[in-house]
Amino acid sequence: MLFACVKTEQKKLRHSHLWAAFLIIPLLPTVMGAANYVNNLGLLKSEWYSLWTQHSLFYANFFYAPLIALYCSYIWRVEHLNYNWNHLMTMPVSAADVFLSKLLLAVRCTLLLQLWMWVLFLAAGKVVGLPGLPDPQILIWLLRGSVGAVAVTALQLVLSMIIRSFAVPIALALLGSVGGLLASNSGLGLFWPYSLMLMGMNANKTEDMVSSSLGFGVSTLVFFLVFTGAGILWLKRKDVHAT
Amino acid sequence: MEYIVETKGLTKSYGGKQVVKNVDLKVPKECVYGFMGPNGAGKSTTLKMLLGLIRCTDGQAWIDGKEMNQKNRLEILRETGSLIESPSYYGHLTGRENLEIVRTLKKAPEKEVDQVLELVRMERQQDKKAREYSLGMKQRLGLAAALIGRPRLLILDEPTNGLDPAGIQEIRELICELPKRMGITVLVSSHLLSEMDQMADYVGIINHGQLIFQDKLEALHEHSKSKLLLRVMNRTAALKILEGRQIEGRVTEEGILIPGLSDDRAADLVSALAAGGAGLYRIEERQKSLEDIFLSLTGRRESL
Repeated sequence: MLFACVKTEQKKLRHSHLWAAFLIIPLLPTVMGAANYVNNLGLLKSEWYSLWTQHSLFYANFFYAPLIALYCSYIWRVEHLNYNWNHLMTMPVSAADVFLSKLLLAVRCTLLLQLWMWVLFLAAGKVVGLPGLPDPQILIWLLRGSVGAVAVTALQLVLSMIIRSFAVPIALALLGSVGGLLASNSGLGLFWPYSLMLMGMNANKTEDMVSSSLGFGVSTLVFFLVFTGAGILWLKRKDVHAT
Repeated sequence: MEYIVETKGLTKSYGGKQVVKNVDLKVPKECVYGFMGPNGAGKSTTLKMLLGLIRCTDGQAWIDGKEMNQKNRLEILRETGSLIESPSYYGHLTGRENLEIVRTLKKAPEKEVDQVLELVRMERQQDKKAREYSLGMKQRLGLAAALIGRPRLLILDEPTNGLDPAGIQEIRELICELPKRMGITVLVSSHLLSEMDQMADYVGIINHGQLIFQDKLEALHEHSKSKLLLRVMNRTAALKILEGRQIEGRVTEEGILIPGLSDDRAADLVSALAAGGAGLYRIEERQKSLEDIFLSLTGRRESL
């Protein structure tokens, strides 16, 4: 049944211009990062690694979580409109399948977004004249960032499910990211979900922020399970009010 | 008798206030059951409890012998089609795409989409985006969606709300056809008595959250016997003649209202009024309104 749900969720995203937002918005942190790099060449001497510090500074701290939030808000917006809650909850589909199918799509989006950022990073490097190719480690960091993002994706999906406004969950994601920066800088990153993506991506740092892969993995998993469990439970228990 | 929908003591409270109180619904199989009551009487809340959209505070509901609970919910929903509150639709998708979503989730064969489109006569509008549909078309789309998967029970909440007279007639005909053509039981709510008169076999009336009447439509007609309105030139003379025949007459602005009479008694009264100089110039039959029926059922007047 989960497969059928994923299929219908994909159908619901048809005719949307969401993909355009996901292609265009990541250009902003790319340009900002590259400009910062070019303006600080005196300080930034590690070539691709230095470019990554600038690139990730803007992307991981201010764009990644809100972009995930945008996707989650869109996924739920179609249900908040036109009494679709009644439709959604009278289909012979379990609460878990409803939530997990949306979650799978959102996770796929966060992964694709990272790969697109990798392409943009390469392009930016070439434009500012860096030689060769970046160390594959940076790609690993990006992918590790999307692992950390899974916890935030589950959280944003819960927020957008409960909050009917489109913009409020996105604003919360931005606040959460800023909090994530503060938390990871004070060494409390493992206790704040929005820190995990920054840490995974090694945002704006040259030394590895993930000192313990185990801690990172456990924290991500715990947050993910708690948010997903809460989301499914809410769907199961809460009375449906379509307006 | 076996019921497709049965509830016992169904109750829903919001913050201590009971909006549905102790409702015992009994809906026989393969009929049209009209669920009536004024706006805000608890119709939608009751129907939503039957579908598991909201949880009852107390009591139980059985659909086709299965109790509505977390365990049976999906099994019940597989056999039930519904249209609650207003039509649900994904506006950015076409009518057909909307139906395809329902078909996939109900695991119905592919040809059913065409079948239901034909049934609600929407074949030609199927590739238009749902948000461009008129309200009537949205209702029809909702009805088509509810019919996918060949449900045994159809729950329709005010399906004719907001439609023009032609649309109302069309939906009504469709509802009447379903039990005979497809063996579907239709539980349909409305706040209009006239509407139920034309389609329901059974009627339940809810008021202030309480089921105050439930029986065959004919039984409701016992409560809604019509009255006669006499319009006369000379009221005093007319009232005297009525009194002589022990017919209770109530003077209203329009004329004198008397209980319905059999044909021969009416004919007799008319000639007596004419002979007695009452100046009878018009006699009209007055159907009781839902409001009047509430009055006779509850003994108090309710505003609708």
